[in-house]
Amino acid sequence: MRLLVVEDETALRQQLQAALQRAGFAVDVAADGIDGEHLGVVEAFDAVVLDLGLPGKDGLSVLKSWRANGMSRPVLLLTARSSWQEKVLGIDAGADDYLAKPFQMEELVARLRALIRRASGHDHPLLQRGAVQLDTRACTLRVAGQAVALTAHEYRVLAYLMHHAGRVVSRSELAEHVYAQDADRDSNTLDVFVARLRRKLPEGFILTVRGMGWRLDEAAS
Amino acid sequence: MTVAAPSLRRRLLAAAALWITLALGVVGVLLVLLFRHHVEQELAARAQTQLDALTSGLAVAPANARVALATEPPDPAFRQPLSGWYWLVSVDGETRLRSRSWWDHAPPALPPRPPSRIAVDGPAGQQLLLWTRTVELAGADVPMVVAVGADASRLQGLTRSFAVTVSAALAALALALWAAAWLQVRLGLAPLARLRAALQQLRQGQATRLPGAHPAEVQPLVDELHAVLDDKQQLLDQARQQAGNLAHGLKTPLAVIGNLAQRMPGEDGELLRQQLERMGRQIDWQLMRARAAASARRTVATPVLPALDELRRVLLRLHAERGLQLQLPRESQAPGVAVEPEALKEMLGNLLDNACKWARGQVRVRLSVEGPRVRIEVDDDGPGIAPGQRALALQRGQRLDERQSGSGLGLAIVDELARLHGGTLELADADLGGLRAVLWLPAG
Repeated sequence: MRLLVVEDETALRQQLQAALQRAGFAVDVAADGIDGEHLGVVEAFDAVVLDLGLPGKDGLSVLKSWRANGMSRPVLLLTARSSWQEKVLGIDAGADDYLAKPFQMEELVARLRALIRRASGHDHPLLQRGAVQLDTRACTLRVAGQAVALTAHEYRVLAYLMHHAGRVVSRSELAEHVYAQDADRDSNTLDVFVARLRRKLPEGFILTVRGMGWRLDEAAS
Repeated sequence: MTVAAPSLRRRLLAAAALWITLALGVVGVLLVLLFRHHVEQELAARAQTQLDALTSGLAVAPANARVALATEPPDPAFRQPLSGWYWLVSVDGETRLRSRSWWDHAPPALPPRPPSRIAVDGPAGQQLLLWTRTVELAGADVPMVVAVGADASRLQGLTRSFAVTVSAALAALALALWAAAWLQVRLGLAPLARLRAALQQLRQGQATRLPGAHPAEVQPLVDELHAVLDDKQQLLDQARQQAGNLAHGLKTPLAVIGNLAQRMPGEDGELLRQQLERMGRQIDWQLMRARAAASARRTVATPVLPALDELRRVLLRLHAERGLQLQLPRESQAPGVAVEPEALKEMLGNLLDNACKWARGQVRVRLSVEGPRVRIEVDDDGPGIAPGQRALALQRGQRLDERQSGSGLGLAIVDELARLHGGTLELADADLGGLRAVLWLPAG
């Protein structure tokens, strides 16, 4: 799962990036409204954390411009502006959630996970597919009731596939949602992650569709 | 307290009355003097005619050089005793001839060559005016003095009756002028009364500008006042803006420190987190007060339903996980409250958010107008608050349940805002089983 964080305050931006990475997300950052707006349009994110008081272009305008251009990814406004009037403006501009500063990092993470889950049509934080159960709140995997440890990259690959179960996910799409922009995007490493995941999952859970990408086993559901 | 300056109206009226009275008084005196002079002229002219007649009738007898009157003046008044008209002829201070009207009174002794008009005591206590002429007749060795007298009391009587008439007329005129002055002052000061009414509207917040057109003399005052108002509004906006900037500027660093504290182990970390939470609450509280201070003095009518509608969208989004039912009143009930939209949304937002946080599945808002107040009732089907805990829930910074996120100010902010806007917040049990929050606000 890949996130964009648009926040001008350097210290907070770094904290957000580190904390969200620890929570299992690939995180891209932007320090002003113009960069943020551009990244939000050209890159594929699963959710965006957007500050309102941004240099260059204010967050509300960035959000409106995204929505006007058909960008439909969930956006969480993380802002010091905490009045209800401001919340109304933010939500009406197309935000999916609103969190006022100062905030608890766990709450931000929980809300982002919920946003991503809802955006892919899952109402429940537990994604279940056959014997495989992914808890998107705790970032834990259980296979037939047994806890299985995952690395951050493995979690992201599996979570993306689980969120988009039922269709083929291409190599490039998966790469976009698993790596941050500045990461080493050798798509061959994706094969390594998939191979490791396959060892932890039931036989045939992740199918390779030759020339197209990967898909989860229909029969498993 | 300062000593009240004298009333403008009283001052104008007093000046007008004084001036009118003085001017009319002088006019009255002048008119009476003029009349008296005129009447005296008339008397003098008549006396001269009589003098002419007397003089032409005088003759000196050659035999004894005595003065005799060939023909008496024809005026019958000279023959009627004490009629008020008299004549006499005197030589060397000795009366030689006199009219019969003197009756048995001795005419006054006239000196030789007396002034042409003298005042003397007459018969029966009359005051006489005597017009005299010194005549030198052929055959007489000394000049004769011929005099015609008239009773001055006639003159005085006429003057007095004229003075009475004139005084009455002038008094009536004075009354009319006083009335005109009063009317003028009233009309002239009417714009000031209108100005006062307009100012009152302004102060009560029914207007932000002095309504209506004002006379050219008052308009500059109104313009200046508007300039002062603009300055004040600007200062207020600036203060509000600065309070907001300060608060918002502090929140991001607070978030950064908070994130650090979160990773700090032990008692120090806990203490830091507590202090940070207090700072956050302080900022929210003071920011709310700064906003309310600027808005609570103004009176507007904000419809409640649109505000609820907007907030419903936000809350359903913020609590999307919960699948809540948020039931608003029907369209037909659309009361307004005397609270600025932002403050109203702040109160309703906090109430609804609190209800949504605790509700199991249902939140219901009901509205009604009761007399001069609007009643906004927010019910939820959550666990509610025990009666003994309700007062605590309204205290600043009290969080009855540490598991819920938020600053813990929600209900306390609503309570304080309601009070600042002349309303109240009451907590009770809801029909739905949870908490019922009743917000009373003055109707707009």
